[in-house]
Amino acid sequence: MSPDALFQIANPLALSGWVALAASPLRPQALTLYAGRIVPLALAVLYTALVLVGWSGAEGGFGSLPDVMRLFDDPTVALAGWVHYLGFDLFVGAWAVETARREGIRHLLVLPCLILIFLFGPAGFLAFLALRAAYLGKVAA
Amino acid sequence: MTTLSLTAPSRFWTDAPVFTGLALFLTLSILPVALALQLDPRQWLGEAIWLKPLKFQIALVIYLITLAFFARFLPAGMADNPRWQLFTQAVAFAVLAEMAWIGGAAALGTGSHFNVSTPLWNAIYGLMGFFAAFLTSASFVMAVAIHRNAATGLEPALKLSLVLGLGLTLPLTLVVAFTMAAGTGHLVGTPVTEARLPLMGWSREVGDLRVAHFIATHALHFVPLVGWLVAGRLPDPAARGAVILAALAWVALTFATFAQALMGKPVI
Repeated sequence: MSPDALFQIANPLALSGWVALAASPLRPQALTLYAGRIVPLALAVLYTALVLVGWSGAEGGFGSLPDVMRLFDDPTVALAGWVHYLGFDLFVGAWAVETARREGIRHLLVLPCLILIFLFGPAGFLAFLALRAAYLGKVAA
Repeated sequence: MTTLSLTAPSRFWTDAPVFTGLALFLTLSILPVALALQLDPRQWLGEAIWLKPLKFQIALVIYLITLAFFARFLPAGMADNPRWQLFTQAVAFAVLAEMAWIGGAAALGTGSHFNVSTPLWNAIYGLMGFFAAFLTSASFVMAVAIHRNAATGLEPALKLSLVLGLGLTLPLTLVVAFTMAAGTGHLVGTPVTEARLPLMGWSREVGDLRVAHFIATHALHFVPLVGWLVAGRLPDPAARGAVILAALAWVALTFATFAQALMGKPVI
């Protein structure tokens, strides 16, 4: 299967996880299990296989920015990098939802953070931690 | 107690936690390798490059889970013996090192066994030969321990079959595997048509030393299977005789297929 075809599978799979997270108050346990474990694990298996297949054939490395950019010239490695984003971002999103549920933060407030994590992973992570800090401050006051 | 009974799976964990855990870990690690097999166009010696790591994963899972099953017949308290625990941990390390080497070589697009292309690969190959012998020695150690255990609760013929099967695995495998390793590859002769047996991948046109290796290593399945079939069905001296006969037949089969391959003839 070509990297392009796998890309077309990985994207909707990750997206289904984000939909599950957004709708998670409906069936909290099942939907966070799906988005926080099942999909990230499937993406991790795909990532691992892609690295096993593509890593040794790729040029470049971790040593300098041009090296890292050259690494992503290889379609298999570039796809692996993309799947890495998809899997880890979703895992962080599920962690945010679970943390919010445990600490009593309203899901409606978490939703914008989820959108940010989905689009710009670390920025959304930052937003959620800020929301959490604000919420904990309010509880303490 | 007349037969081996498959009791609760938790017995695997209490009798042989390291072997059981490692078997489970290797089983899960099959997932990415099986997917890599589907995705990777690379070949090595005429086969998909991830086929060999996959075969070793499956073979090692079968070996470890077999040892974990037989571990219930070890002397009472052996599972808590620190020396035995250290030994099983060392065996687990050797298994993981073999998989890292075979999988790593596949990832790098090169060979593992018989790879003497650089001093480093050559040195690793030698070390891995030692590790392979060491991990196989676990079967022999268990054979001795089960032999000494007067309270296995097993019928004599069945106990004898475990001891012989486990005990034969190491010497038979060492003879075949080290002869194979002393050469330049697992084939004796030069294949032209690349005709192979399905699944196992053994050559159907030249000698393939892997056949005898397979039979040697599966002594720990075959002889106990015969013991399980005859124990309680035949009167005792006859049952034990049948087990001894089966063990001798398995040794003969190992050496017959070994000689056949060394003469350059395919198994079928």
